[in-house]
Amino acid sequence: MHFRRYWAGMLCVTLAGALALGALAGCAKKAAPAAPPAPSKAEVATYVNNSEIIVFWDPSESGSNEIIALNNIYETLLYYNSGTGECDPVLATSFQVSPDGKTWTFDIRKGVKFHCGHAMDANAVKYSIERTKNGGKGASWLWDPVEAISVLDPYKVEFKLKFSSPLDVALAAGYGAHIMCPVCTEAKGHDYLLQGHAFGTGPYMIESWKQAEQELVLTRFPDYWRGWQGKHFDKVVFKTVPEAATRRQILEAGQADFTEMLPYEMVKAMEGNPKIHIEVTPSYQNMLGLINTQKGALKDKRVRQAICYAVPYSDIIQHVMYGYAEQSKGVIPHGLWGHDENLFQYSLDLDKARALLKEAGYGNGGLNLVMTYVAGDENERRAGELVKAKLAELGINLEVRGMPWEAQWDLAKAPKPEDRQDIFVFYWWPDNANPQSYLSRVFMWQEPIHFNLSYYKNPAFDALVQEGIEWAGADRARTIECYRKAQEMIIEDAAAIFFFDQSYVRPMRASFKGFKDNPAYPNVVFFYNTYREGE
Amino acid sequence: MQRFITRRLALTLLVLWGTATIAFVLARVVPSDPAARWVGPRATLEQVEQARKELGLDQPLYVQYYRYMRGLLRGDWGVSIRTHQPVIQDMLGHLPASLELVLASMILALLVGIPLGVASAIKKDRAVDHLGRVLSIGAVSLPPFWLAMILQLVFFKWLGLLPLGRRLETAVRLAHPLREITGLYSLDALVTGNWPVLWDSLLHLALPAVTLASYTIGVVTRMTRSSLLEVLNEDYIRAARSYGLPERVVVLRYALKNAIAPTVTVLALCLAYSLVGTFVIEAVFAWPGLGYYMAQSVIAVDYTAIIGCTVLVAAAYALLNLGVDIVHALLDPRISLG
Repeated sequence: MHFRRYWAGMLCVTLAGALALGALAGCAKKAAPAAPPAPSKAEVATYVNNSEIIVFWDPSESGSNEIIALNNIYETLLYYNSGTGECDPVLATSFQVSPDGKTWTFDIRKGVKFHCGHAMDANAVKYSIERTKNGGKGASWLWDPVEAISVLDPYKVEFKLKFSSPLDVALAAGYGAHIMCPVCTEAKGHDYLLQGHAFGTGPYMIESWKQAEQELVLTRFPDYWRGWQGKHFDKVVFKTVPEAATRRQILEAGQADFTEMLPYEMVKAMEGNPKIHIEVTPSYQNMLGLINTQKGALKDKRVRQAICYAVPYSDIIQHVMYGYAEQSKGVIPHGLWGHDENLFQYSLDLDKARALLKEAGYGNGGLNLVMTYVAGDENERRAGELVKAKLAELGINLEVRGMPWEAQWDLAKAPKPEDRQDIFVFYWWPDNANPQSYLSRVFMWQEPIHFNLSYYKNPAFDALVQEGIEWAGADRARTIECYRKAQEMIIEDAAAIFFFDQSYVRPMRASFKGFKDNPAYPNVVFFYNTYREGE
Repeated sequence: MQRFITRRLALTLLVLWGTATIAFVLARVVPSDPAARWVGPRATLEQVEQARKELGLDQPLYVQYYRYMRGLLRGDWGVSIRTHQPVIQDMLGHLPASLELVLASMILALLVGIPLGVASAIKKDRAVDHLGRVLSIGAVSLPPFWLAMILQLVFFKWLGLLPLGRRLETAVRLAHPLREITGLYSLDALVTGNWPVLWDSLLHLALPAVTLASYTIGVVTRMTRSSLLEVLNEDYIRAARSYGLPERVVVLRYALKNAIAPTVTVLALCLAYSLVGTFVIEAVFAWPGLGYYMAQSVIAVDYTAIIGCTVLVAAAYALLNLGVDIVHALLDPRISLG
């Protein structure tokens, strides 16, 4: 009896499966015509990402990939124009700054509504920035210089700073500076936001969010203050597809408009495809090899300089980066204010390296060094292998060790300097269009160690950077001069190998128009500016 | 039977406790700083320290262990360091995708593997057997990521018949909203009569299910063949044949029934393994299942998610093995559960 029931059940399951799969196999060819009606292709833009679309839904905590979507849902007072280096008005129409750079007054745009229907005003600005500052999460440190925010009238807000700081750039940041509806955010609360809700003023609002599938659909906000004249997408879809080969196929098949993080070999292979456009833009991201200035032979700056002269910069740029990079000059990358074209640049010169080693007492080499990088990052690994080959010619043995980021960082923070790595390879990019962090967070002395993984300790350098920071709002020229001198010090002291400033390489459909890459907003597509043409 | 099940369930709890403990210790001894991961790579020192306090990571390990186990018993599996969502919610969000994929692949494996195994056994050393051998060894040997990419190339790029990945087209989802009951899209669509979604979900299921089924088909075919061959040489089969019973009845009714037990065991193990062992397939097809979730958690050293998934898989293994034992007893009266 039991057996009969068992086999009867099995038969049913098998038949059901057979029917379903038979239908699938037999009718697969009809798949395309039988597909249900869908919104017109011309109206939906699709962005395919390699990892999570959203980690932090709360804009006050944002600090990860979500800036890609959130910058289409929320807006900031200003927008950093990477072409002019100025901040363009968005939710603020204009601003005034006092001569000492400590008082900033903003005129707030009238007639702007949040997605919930409430009006945006000076109170919302005060609430949003204070909420982020007081929350202490994400990019809340942006507001460290802010002492007080006052609402002067419904459309005028004043920021008092503790010291002069480029507040315009902070207010244009891709995260930590979004303006949200105070009424709804307070009423619904933080946990409500985490479920995939937002109260912004941006051109698109949330239509659906599938957490497990990492699929976010945005739709037009009908009352958007710029209006909907001209060509715009109706909906924007964000999806996660972790496998690069799959992302490439989706893009080539026209099922995505934009993707990123494809290996350069793949990008090169797509260059001949007339339906694909590759946009290359210099970024603010550079690759550094921080040299341990407190360990063994590396305490001698001549040894560090010798290493910098043994790096095949051109080979790395041509053969590792496929030309999508430029050798760094100092630590502040090309295109960002504070960058100085006249700074000294190391080049491959093994004779000079040998002479420096000999002078330092290591004429025969005999050094064993460890270079760590994030396992899985092929660019870092390949660059490391090229450096290893050149150092071998100097009698220096370099171990190129891939480690998970956490383990790499933990080793770098080991209590004793001699237990740490010799060279720490990683990327740096700013959280907003301010060069300060390249110097203050990577090279200023800190205890305990956080990101100063050269363990560089130079009070004169620290004083210069601090002076630059404190004048950035009132006298940018003075700040730039301070940063120039500070960069000269770390170049002379060879505190790091300044490998290259990377370019952003964005493969997209040729019919996807209006996109302008802005390195101040990494990976962000401002979809309001984009449209489809010719497909 | 009831006593047996109760005893096995108690043992299962012990196994789960042991698994959770080992996973907790292993996940915490690997070099990582969950607090730093929680606040992101660019956080300040103060933010990292604040997070350490919030997450209770400033407490001794035994206190953290006690708190974690207490939470586990109360259904609070902690919050994922990577996604910032409750682990249980994350896993429940990913589980239906895995179940749908695994069940579809199991149905395929049964449909293809058992008939092929039976045919190979009764036509031993003939063309069908050779073909079955080549197919099953090939299916077991092919790396799943390679097979997945070849299938994508053929059915998506060249023929344009099937989608490349994910569970549903966004356009279909938007045009025909699905009322989710189980989270298994094809089943939910069938139950609610949402035919466009049913069709689209089956299309999306086809390639990953075939890829995942390939290994199981190979194993099931070989297992069915070998155990059936063994049974076919038994005296009672000879006796049945000498009574003049038709060969079809001898094979399907008398031999296969006794030969199927090892295949059921293998199927159950494949089912449990597939729940998280499919991360390569899920990555290639962007299929948001548990395997993908666990792989991402491991990469991020997301210890709460790693422990959660490990406990879930251990539970799946233990319960499926219990189920197999019960099925064995039902299939073979000589086996008693006591």
